[in-house]
Amino acid sequence: MTPGVGIWRCTKCRTGFFPQPLLCARCHNDRFETDRVHDAVVEEISVIRHMLGQENWQPRRIASVRTSDGQLITVGLTGEAGPGATIELYQEENAPFGRDKT
Amino acid sequence: MFNNAAIIGVGQSAYTRRPEPGQSTHTFIRDAVVAALKDAELDAAEVQGMAVTSFSLAPDTAVDLAWKLGLSLRWLLQDTNGGSSAMNMLGHALRGVEMGAASPILIVAGDATGLAGYAKLASNYNIATREHLAPLGHGGPNGVYALVASRQMKKYGLEKSDYGHIAVSQRAWAAGNPYAVYRAPMTMDEYLAAPLVADPLSRYDCVPVIAGAQAIVVAHPDRAPKKRPGVRVRAIRHSFNYDNQSGDGLQTGISTFANELWQSAGVRPDDIDLASIYDDYPTMVLAQLNDLGLVPGNDLARFCRSEIAERTFPVNTFGGMMSAGQPGGPAGGLNGIAEAVLQLQHRAGERQVKDARLAVATGYGMTMYRYGGTAGAAILERAP
Ligand SMILES: [Zn+2]
Repeated sequence: MTPGVGIWRCTKCRTGFFPQPLLCARCHNDRFETDRVHDAVVEEISVIRHMLGQENWQPRRIASVRTSDGQLITVGLTGEAGPGATIELYQEENAPFGRDKT
Repeated sequence: MFNNAAIIGVGQSAYTRRPEPGQSTHTFIRDAVVAALKDAELDAAEVQGMAVTSFSLAPDTAVDLAWKLGLSLRWLLQDTNGGSSAMNMLGHALRGVEMGAASPILIVAGDATGLAGYAKLASNYNIATREHLAPLGHGGPNGVYALVASRQMKKYGLEKSDYGHIAVSQRAWAAGNPYAVYRAPMTMDEYLAAPLVADPLSRYDCVPVIAGAQAIVVAHPDRAPKKRPGVRVRAIRHSFNYDNQSGDGLQTGISTFANELWQSAGVRPDDIDLASIYDDYPTMVLAQLNDLGLVPGNDLARFCRSEIAERTFPVNTFGGMMSAGQPGGPAGGLNGIAEAVLQLQHRAGERQVKDARLAVATGYGMTMYRYGGTAGAAILERAP
């Protein structure tokens, strides 16, 4: 578990991206530096109740969130946060998650 | 307007939830090809070009399929745009025939992934899905479009039953399609009582994965079978990665070209007699109809409760993929085009839309991260 979610920031126009791009979609620069975002606001939530090919699936929550830097990303949601709540982002390998802010 | 290219035949394989031993993507594709050639009154030896798309043809590619079908060709294409592949291949084939590169051209799509194959495909759809979505247990496209549906309900004041009108009316249309996998009537109560899959989506919001294939033939209109004019394409447009996944997904790539499409076709949304709208989810049916300018005042809720519920504007008269079944997005998109052709040729049997003359068909596909990134649309016309 790593705190925050890694993003890629264009060295020229400073726009941050997730997932990783090859060229900046805004200015088409090819240089990026890595950065991390730690907070996001929950916009929409779903509960995944069935998973194809899984027998003993436990329902889990996912959410579309807007990070404090502006990226729209999809996270696994642990805890109770609902739409409008600010959550704390973390990462398991390459996958972004969010939990209630402590 | 294509003057020297038209759709002259359509055909499909059986659609089935569970393929029998010996049935595969390849055999479904063969069955669709045989049916389309018969419909177009063509001999396989006359075919000069082929376009194919499938999620489950690998490791074979287009040329292997040509070999296995015994087709020696001068024009060959394999498309990778999922739900908008059919529309994309149609565009390439029309231009290929119009410019004299090849004629006739066969367009074919089919899949028989099975549920396990589909689950594997859904979690390995692209690198973003494999790395950033599948580890969340996002549920494949169901999870992605659940979030888009929530956003759409909020933005347009939609109720769950508004999506139900789409599912219920398409099921009513499916009763007239002998190939549809689900033909028994469905009530709104049944729709609303179905178990949730990924909130707010329940069972009948999620397209059923089946096995099957579709094929159509594009050639000079003179090659159309006697007494059955080919179907002309007045205009066709495509869009790929229209917004870098940075929007809300409630507009599709169709919004980038809709005005140009109508202008080029020389007709207006009001003139359209029926629509084949790519329906992996009811949410995306509404988004595409809205992008095309077919929803008065962008009032999606009113449109669901009136035109769709009362079936005064025919949408997905073959039952859509939601009732006919989705043999992978590629063939699903081709099914909508083939249906428009049958309707315009007045060959749609008990589901025939009276005096159908103009149709719009769309494709939408490739869920890159937050929603689909490819789209296409065409205006089809019954030749005078
Ligand atoms: Zn930049």
